[in-house]
Amino acid sequence: MNVTDVFDAGRLAVGGLSDFATGMFSPTVRLGVTGLSRAGKTVFITALVHALLKGARLPLFEAQARGRIGRVYLEPQPDDELPRFAYEDHLATLTGEPRRWPEGTRRISQLRLTIEYEPNGLIARNTHGGRLHLDIVDYPGEWLLDLPLLSQSYQQWSATTVAASRKAPRAAHAHDWHALLQAMDPEAAADELLALKSADLFTRYLARCRQDDVSLSSLPPGRFLMPGDLAGSPLLSFAPLDIAPDHAPRAGSLAGLMARRYDSYVAHVVKPFFFGHFARLDRQIVLVDLLSALNAGAAAVNDLKGTLAEVMSCFRLGSNSVLTGLFGKRIEKVLFAATKADLLHHASHDQLENILRQVVSEAAARAEYRGAVHDVAALAAIRATREATVTQRGEELACIAGRPAAGETIGSTAFDGTQEAAIFPGDLPADARAALDGSLEGKLKFVRFTPPDLKDGTFPHIRLDRCVEFLIGDRFA
Amino acid sequence: MTDKDKREPRAFVIEDDKVVETRTQSARKSRAAADIAFETAEPAGDLVVVPPSHSQTAARRAPWLTILLGALATLITMWAGLSVTSLIEDFFARAPWLGWAALAVASLAGFAAIAIVVREVWGLLRLRKIEDLQDKAARAINLDENSAAQAAVNGLTQLYAGRHDLALPMKELARHSADIMDPADRVRLAERILLPPLDEEAHRIIARRARRVTLLTTVTPAAALDILFVAAQNAAMLRELATLYGGKPSTLATLKLGRMVITHLAVTGGLALSDNLIQHVVGRGLLGRLSARFGEGAVNGILTCRIGLAAQDVCRPVPSREGNRETLAGLLRELVSFGKDKGDDTAQS
Repeated sequence: MNVTDVFDAGRLAVGGLSDFATGMFSPTVRLGVTGLSRAGKTVFITALVHALLKGARLPLFEAQARGRIGRVYLEPQPDDELPRFAYEDHLATLTGEPRRWPEGTRRISQLRLTIEYEPNGLIARNTHGGRLHLDIVDYPGEWLLDLPLLSQSYQQWSATTVAASRKAPRAAHAHDWHALLQAMDPEAAADELLALKSADLFTRYLARCRQDDVSLSSLPPGRFLMPGDLAGSPLLSFAPLDIAPDHAPRAGSLAGLMARRYDSYVAHVVKPFFFGHFARLDRQIVLVDLLSALNAGAAAVNDLKGTLAEVMSCFRLGSNSVLTGLFGKRIEKVLFAATKADLLHHASHDQLENILRQVVSEAAARAEYRGAVHDVAALAAIRATREATVTQRGEELACIAGRPAAGETIGSTAFDGTQEAAIFPGDLPADARAALDGSLEGKLKFVRFTPPDLKDGTFPHIRLDRCVEFLIGDRFA
Repeated sequence: MTDKDKREPRAFVIEDDKVVETRTQSARKSRAAADIAFETAEPAGDLVVVPPSHSQTAARRAPWLTILLGALATLITMWAGLSVTSLIEDFFARAPWLGWAALAVASLAGFAAIAIVVREVWGLLRLRKIEDLQDKAARAINLDENSAAQAAVNGLTQLYAGRHDLALPMKELARHSADIMDPADRVRLAERILLPPLDEEAHRIIARRARRVTLLTTVTPAAALDILFVAAQNAAMLRELATLYGGKPSTLATLKLGRMVITHLAVTGGLALSDNLIQHVVGRGLLGRLSARFGEGAVNGILTCRIGLAAQDVCRPVPSREGNRETLAGLLRELVSFGKDKGDDTAQS
């Protein structure tokens, strides 16, 4: 154990102690909404908060279905260092005219929701009187990709990144950067302009790999894609070099400069982010945008699988005891949710959940081994479609109907965002492994839809109630 | 799934709820090539164990006894028919009006007999339906089977369709029928919405009968009489519970139900060790010291509670979870609160 480990453990313990002290009289659940970029974190948080605030129909959320939830309200921002989650703005985007999905998140934000309920237990009634704070943090999903960097040195990261970029489907998009990579000598004297140019080309390569048709997930460092307030900072002016994992750079060389910047990036960007927001979670929901990956093909699904396994290995899963309660809590419950389940007919949800099980198998196995409870669900926090059956030449097709978003295409049909259409997205395989071995190429096409109208003042949803019950239902004892 | 490769993604543009296929490779005008039917919109996770039915536990035997009984019954019926016919003929021989009167009375008797048989068969069929429902519900909850869940929820709504005391919960359940949820959750939701009022009523029935048994045993002068009382009260409780949960307890159905309850008691009896302890303390110990008769009464009351709980397990169309099952301790609290017979205290959870 080296000095930083001791320091980090100390950080955890101090956080854990203060949580323990406040938790006695004002119980708080820190809900970790985890998901790579475009997995639907912002929509999930907005929908969750809206459903709880408006008392939406959540039949499987028992505390609410039994009428034990009293008042639900948004608390003033508890943490002065973090911006507040712009719930009202996101809601206005979703319900305004024209209705749109919120833009990708650019910076971190937080929201505290307080739920007053009728406690069952005598102790709960007399200590905190049935009040539960729900703390939710929203952040750009790209930043999550940084977590695996915590355990890698610059040389290791460089070697794996360069090796991965030389394989299909990445190699096709890395020409420019590879050309520069060939020309650079790691042992040459450090050159600021070369470093900047290399970082720029590397960032373009990452951005290209993220686009819809490639849809890869494992693209660290996250701040390159979503710099937030670090845009233009020297912390972001490094890139991988073609070096061996055990390369020892000479002082003053290009490799030395890059390694130094990488280390500062990890120390000043990744660690504060991790310890500030992820090290003290109670419950976690991992949102996975499986459908975009399936759209792009098996390479994207496999990449997603690898990325999730790496990211999830950074979280402290496991059951809690009195000791862990004092010295840094563990995450007791993890829900893996395949988001945007409204883009396919509910008869296919079982298959979708099976594919998700395959994709998160490593993370789930770890959760199981450490004693954390986990489950998977096909989820649509906001349901934008209804279901329909189309009979075509004697064949029944289970379709979903709604308004496809502008710019979406299927076959030769392009949508302008005003037309209503029934979409048959293709059959999901009965055997989930088919999604990973490439036998599905071109057989699936999921189309994005515009957000739905409010119904009775609330958003329609698929299994949001089940997720809420699984994640926080037991805290309403 | 024969031509699976042909099922490629496609889109149908909807105009005035008519479908127009747009996946036309040629420049042809899009044409109405398909019909669309919208799914009807809204009208405006632990394991359970099914109580073993008698048929599952009874050993298979050769059907000779059944054949013998059946043959004898047929013979007796034939004899009865013959003698009634000859009796009516005798009456006709004496005076025609007497014959007609006898015929009318005999037809009435025959009609009543048929009605009784129909009622018995109806009762047995209903019992089988509830057993089937339990099985389906357990499959849906334990195995997350979609078809079983649909069957269970449909069965439940059919069973309770005409019940005025469940009109409100039924309406509530109908509101969720179009929701997308997992099979196990669907059954659990139906259970949580429909059955709590019935469970509360069952609790009241068992507690009332148990109190009555205790009281009767205590005040009955002869020991032989109280056996009779206990049996009668238990049979009445069984019928009440069965009716409550949607059964039609005719005579045969009640007998079958009684056998199922005894089987269930025998199966779960081994688990009720702590209950027996209560019985000892209450019966032979504290209350027994006060009055021997009252001690016996308490023991009979506890026995009635246990039979009632077993009967509830057997009659309830959705098997209850271990966590929210009615417990003997909960009922015993009511057993000692004599004199508050009308006060349906809502102390139970």
